[in-house]
Amino acid sequence: MTAIEASSSGGEGINPVASVIGIILILIAIAITYSVAPPAALAALIGVIVGGLLIGFGVHFVPVGGAPAAMGQSPGIATGVAMLAAGAGLAGLFGGAWAAANPEFGFAIVIASGAIGGGLLMAITCLMVNIVYIFGMGIPAASGKVAKDPITGDTQEAYKSQGTEGHGLPFISYVGGVIGGLLGGAGGTLIYYELLKLYSALLPDILTADVAQIMPIAVSLAGIFAIGMFLVNAVLAAYNITGTIEGPHDPKFKRFPRAIIGCATASAVCGLFAILIVVV
Amino acid sequence: MTVQVTASEGGIPHNTIMAVGLVGSLVCLYLTYANQFLNAEYAAFFGGLAAVFALLWGTDTIKHLCSYGIGTGVPSAGMIAFGTGVIAMLLATKVEAAMPYSAPIAAVVFGAIVGAVAGWIANSVLKMNIPVMVRSITEMAIIGAIVLMGFTAVMAGGFSFDALAAREIAILGPLSMTSYAGSLLGGCLLAVSFMLGSIALQHPFNACLGPGEQQDRTLMLAAECGFLSMIVVAVISFAFVAFAAAMLSLIVAIVGFVYTYIRFIELSKRDAFAWLDAKPILEPEGED
Repeated sequence: MTAIEASSSGGEGINPVASVIGIILILIAIAITYSVAPPAALAALIGVIVGGLLIGFGVHFVPVGGAPAAMGQSPGIATGVAMLAAGAGLAGLFGGAWAAANPEFGFAIVIASGAIGGGLLMAITCLMVNIVYIFGMGIPAASGKVAKDPITGDTQEAYKSQGTEGHGLPFISYVGGVIGGLLGGAGGTLIYYELLKLYSALLPDILTADVAQIMPIAVSLAGIFAIGMFLVNAVLAAYNITGTIEGPHDPKFKRFPRAIIGCATASAVCGLFAILIVVV
Repeated sequence: MTVQVTASEGGIPHNTIMAVGLVGSLVCLYLTYANQFLNAEYAAFFGGLAAVFALLWGTDTIKHLCSYGIGTGVPSAGMIAFGTGVIAMLLATKVEAAMPYSAPIAAVVFGAIVGAVAGWIANSVLKMNIPVMVRSITEMAIIGAIVLMGFTAVMAGGFSFDALAAREIAILGPLSMTSYAGSLLGGCLLAVSFMLGSIALQHPFNACLGPGEQQDRTLMLAAECGFLSMIVVAVISFAFVAFAAAMLSLIVAIVGFVYTYIRFIELSKRDAFAWLDAKPILEPEGED
C-alpha cells in the first residue's frame, strides 16, 4: 500500500467490550458526583452527558467533503469535521448564552435558541457553499452515495461528473447539515446552561461574594468548559467518521452508535472534572 | 487498517523530546513561583518559556500521531489537545488554592487522566486502532494544560484559582475593592490563550508536512509560533502585572520570536535547496 492510499478506515460495527467499559466509566463518574457533590451537581453532570451525546450524534449529519470537495470531487463542505462542528457549536453557544442571560427565559427557550443558532450557521454555510459550487465552479449538486435523493426522489447519476464521488450539496446533505447544526447547537448550549446554573449556585459561597458579582466568572468558566467539551466531542465524532461524510444517507452514518457511547463517556469524565472545580 | 507514513527519518527520538519538553516546562512553571518572593512579577516570563517547551514537545507528538492517516487533518489533534487540556488546567488551579505549589504537577496528572480516556475512546470505542493513539492524546492533553498554565502565568503572574477569579483594584489610595469582572477568568482571557495555544500547536507540523519535512525546521517553527503567541499574551499582561514585569515578558517574547524566525527562514532556504534531491516517501516496517 502506498502512502496515498494509507488511511484509517475506522472499521465497522461496535466494539462490545470497550462499549461496556465506557458505560461503566459513565456510571463511575455519576457515582463520584453523587457522593462528593450536592444534588444539583448530579443534574448538571447528566445534562453535560446528554449534551455531549447530542454533539456526537449531530456531527454525523454535517456534510463534510474536506480537500476533495474543494476540488469538486466529492459532495460536502470543503473543510474538516472538527472545524465545521466547532463553528456550528459556537454559533449555537452565542445564541444560547444570550437567552441564558435573560432570567425570564426558561430551559426550553435557552436550548431552542442554541439549536437555532447552530442550525442557522449550517443553513447559511450550506447555502453559500452551493452558490460557490453552482455559480463559481459551474457544477450541479449530485450525491455519489445514493442513486436517488431520499427526500425529493431526484436521480443523481446523470448530474455526476465522471471520476468523481459527486459534488455540491444535494438536498439531503443540505437538510442533514441543518439537522446537525440544530443538534450540535442544542448539545453545546445544554452543557453551557447546566454548568452555568451550577456555578452561579455554588460560586458565591466559595468566593464569598453575591451572585451578581460572580456572574462574569460563572459565565466565563461555563463558556470555556462548554467550548472545551464541544471540541473534544466534535473531534471524537470526526475520528469516528474518518474524513468525509455526505449526510444521513451516507453508509458511514451507520457508525453513529459508537460515537454516542464514546462522546457520552468523554463528556462524563470531562463533566466530572468541571464539577469538581466547585466542590474540591 | 493503518499504515504508518513517516514524514522524515532520523532526528532526535520522540522520547528524548518528550523528556526535555516535560521536564523543561515543569521547571519553568515552578520558576514562576519566584514571583511570590520578588516585589514584582519578574518571573512571569518563565510561563511563556514553559509553553514554548511544551509546544516543541507537542509538535513532535502531533507528527508522531498524524504520520498515521487519521483522516481528519492535523488541526483536529490540536483542538482535542486543548479541549481536554483546559479542563485539566482549570481543575489544577483549583487544587493550587488548597495545596500550594501543586498546580503544575496536578495539571500533568489531570491532563493524563482526561487525555488517556479520550485516547482510549478514540482507539477502542471508535475502533481507530492506531498504535500510538492513546499515548499521543494523553501527551497532548498534558501539553494543552501546561501551555494554558504557562500563558496564564505570563498574564496574571501566578495560577491560583482565587487570583485568577478576583482582582484587587485600588480606589482613592488606601481603599481597594475586589473586581471579579476585571479578573483573568472574568474577562474570559482563557479563551484567548486557548486559541493562541491551539493554533501554535497545530500549525507547525501542518505547515511543514510532506516528503521534504525535516525535524529541526518543524521544531523551529513550533518555537517561533510559541514566542509569537507569547507576544500577544505579554501584551495582555500589562493589564494585570507590574509594568516592568510585563515589559520583561514582552522583550523576552520578541527576542525569542526574532531569533527563531531568522533561524526558521535559514532552515527553510536550506531545505528548499535540498528538495531538489528529494526521496520518495519512506514507509518503515513494523510499529512504534
